[in-house]
Amino acid sequence: MAPTVKVSLPVVMGAALLLTGGAVTGLRGQAPTTFIVESPTMTTGRFMPRDYSPDGRNLSPPLRWSGLPAGTRQLAVISQDFGAGRPPPWVHWIIYNIPGDAGGLPEGIPFDPDHPMPAEIAGAVQGNNGWGLPAYRGPAPPLGTVHNYHFAVFALDEEFDLPPGLDRGELLLAIEGHVIGQGDMVPLYERQPMNQFPR
Amino acid sequence: MSDSKGRLPAISRRDLLRTAGAAGAAALVPDAVAAATEETPALLSPAAARKGQDGSAAPSETGPFVARALANLTARETEILSAMVDRLIPSDELGPGALDAGVLRFIDRVLSESGSNAADAYRSGLAALDTYSRYTRGGPFIDLSTVDQDSVLIDVQIGAATGAGVGFVGGSGSFFNMVKSHTWQGMFGDPEYGGNVNFVGWDLLDYPGVRLGVSPEDQRDLEADQLEPVRRSAYDYGIFE
Repeated sequence: MAPTVKVSLPVVMGAALLLTGGAVTGLRGQAPTTFIVESPTMTTGRFMPRDYSPDGRNLSPPLRWSGLPAGTRQLAVISQDFGAGRPPPWVHWIIYNIPGDAGGLPEGIPFDPDHPMPAEIAGAVQGNNGWGLPAYRGPAPPLGTVHNYHFAVFALDEEFDLPPGLDRGELLLAIEGHVIGQGDMVPLYERQPMNQFPR
Repeated sequence: MSDSKGRLPAISRRDLLRTAGAAGAAALVPDAVAAATEETPALLSPAAARKGQDGSAAPSETGPFVARALANLTARETEILSAMVDRLIPSDELGPGALDAGVLRFIDRVLSESGSNAADAYRSGLAALDTYSRYTRGGPFIDLSTVDQDSVLIDVQIGAATGAGVGFVGGSGSFFNMVKSHTWQGMFGDPEYGGNVNFVGWDLLDYPGVRLGVSPEDQRDLEADQLEPVRRSAYDYGIFE
């Protein structure tokens, strides 16, 4: 279990603001612990594979996490780009109601709500992204620009039964006061003209 | 088109029906769509091919699909368009889909009547759709799995295929919306315009039909969900001619 980070409340609040883009989600008066978020196919600060974008199959990437705080009963994930959106961030993916004992998310979560979720995350549902779709849609930044894509994972102290289709603000409001841990990873993406792709 | 919250509509037929307020539409057993003739060679839909149907007029649960060669598109373009509208409103347990409803014939009429610009938009859009599919999913659109076809169409719908430089003119979302609008019109419009064959679109929506008057008994039956639908084109009434 990751140790509790002992810093002043303003610093913690600042970190929470940076991670969530403005929402305060931690338990009142307590600092959420941090934990590790990784991916077998992506690395913070490096370019993510094209298959996680509309330049490829546009699959949701796999994620793994470890060091969750004790008492974690459920998890939620938001993928967002703080360099896009009016106002930022532009949300690419929201998934929540993830069982607390899940060790991560497999690649390629179904975008069809009628398709069952993988067994290890049974009960999870997806919220509406920036396009208003309850599914993962990957990065498509303007040609010639590099964007950072934050995959923020929230450990929750309560087992919610939230309906599908919540947008980012609705989800953050629903889990406010129940976030006992946070972690994220930040891969990059730059779009290339398709005539430069290998066929 | 987006709703009041700026959300894009989902493309599944289930959501279409929910939007149309037609939940609970019953499964249908429509008459067969007219069979192909030698003058109008037929293309079988992927769904029909999977079912082993040969395009004959034998009735089936959802009716056989036969797409006549279109006047305004090549055979290849027709295949791609056929696969696209088949994903927008597929045949499923709720009833016949866009192909069964004659949406291709409706679109062909639209292209004939709206001049070359619309036909050019279809040709360039269908070519770009196929190129995008090959670059990103590794094969032509018609050969992709339905999951990958849906994924491609979502990317086209939200405009994410535009920046890829595959040839969408005016944005991939514009092309998607044009085809979607024509598909909706062909599925649910008056059969006089070439679609909504055997009124399958109206049946899907539980639309009571074109009526010149509604009696108190009709109103009671409607509220009790017992009103017998009228299945006549508006042009079958003299006053609309």
